[in-house]
Amino acid sequence: MNRTDEKTEQQINALLDGELSPVDAEELKATATDDRDLARAIIEAYQLQQAMDTIHVERAPASLRKRLRAIPREHKTALWSKSLQPHWAMALVAVPLVIIAIGLMRPVTPSASEIAQARQDLAIAFAYLDKAGQFTGREIELTVGETMVDAVAGHMIRNIKLKQHHSKEKKA
Amino acid sequence: MKYTNIGKKGIYTFFTGLICALLAMPVMAQEDELKDLPGYVDFGDLSSSYGEPKISINIGGTLLQFVSLMSGESDPEAAELLSNLKGVRVFGYDTQDDVEVASQKFAEVRGTLRSLGWEPVVQVNDDDEQVLIYMKLNGTVMDGMTVMTVDDEEVMFINIIGKLDPRQLGKVMDNFDIDIDGALDLD
Repeated sequence: MNRTDEKTEQQINALLDGELSPVDAEELKATATDDRDLARAIIEAYQLQQAMDTIHVERAPASLRKRLRAIPREHKTALWSKSLQPHWAMALVAVPLVIIAIGLMRPVTPSASEIAQARQDLAIAFAYLDKAGQFTGREIELTVGETMVDAVAGHMIRNIKLKQHHSKEKKA
Repeated sequence: MKYTNIGKKGIYTFFTGLICALLAMPVMAQEDELKDLPGYVDFGDLSSSYGEPKISINIGGTLLQFVSLMSGESDPEAAELLSNLKGVRVFGYDTQDDVEVASQKFAEVRGTLRSLGWEPVVQVNDDDEQVLIYMKLNGTVMDGMTVMTVDDEEVMFINIIGKLDPRQLGKVMDNFDIDIDGALDLD
């Protein structure tokens, strides 16, 4: 294809790509009928294009693609770990935690609802205290009462018995 | 200095522990504040025998002072009573007719109280109910009072830290219309 110049080559490519106008395509075909070199060039170009179309691009295995995709991330992590050592990372996270701790440790004024809740809790606590006090009070009253009854009744019985004994002695 | 042996797991563990400690700080601070006081009593935990407590009250000095201040105008007697207190703690469990564990705890706490110089004020050993009242005195000043009651239904541990005047308590109770077995109504 020595005689085929650059223009002819462009025309062949345009013909194969379907970009050549019908008039120019007919003209090129007519020229190729008489020009064997041109005809061979067109056939070779056509065969090359066919061959290119049949080439199948094989996909890489999934595991390989995964590993390839991970490379930029690993690279980024490596950079991160290089620039941020554990002690710096700890220090960085510790700062807000310390601020929170100081906030928590600071004496905080209780809210109105907390005070109301505390008042209710206190009322319950005192009620239980009162209940225990009332129970023990009753028990003490009961015990002291019985003791007093025993003391009074016992004394009276002893007196009566003594009087009976004296009267028997007088009669005798 | 090498840090490679710390590892990610170590860092996560460290920060998890740190965050947990920070979250528990206010509760621990309040409990620690009371623990150091001479009127404080450690009742232990009966939840393994009776489940979660039916009542759990733990009020520290700061909150008591605020309640005292808030009650100043409306209820001066309550305000005065509360101003002398440093802590109020109440723990109660349903005994569900099983008082054995509670009685053991009573004996245990009683021993502890005696060893710490608490004085028994009232001890009632009724068939249905036991009541123990102990007081901690520092000279003529009251450091604290402990009341423990147990019956078939419930076991209660009450710890008042600070000075409590029973006469004042009676007056304050008149202002609280409380039914501890049912509704609660505060004036």
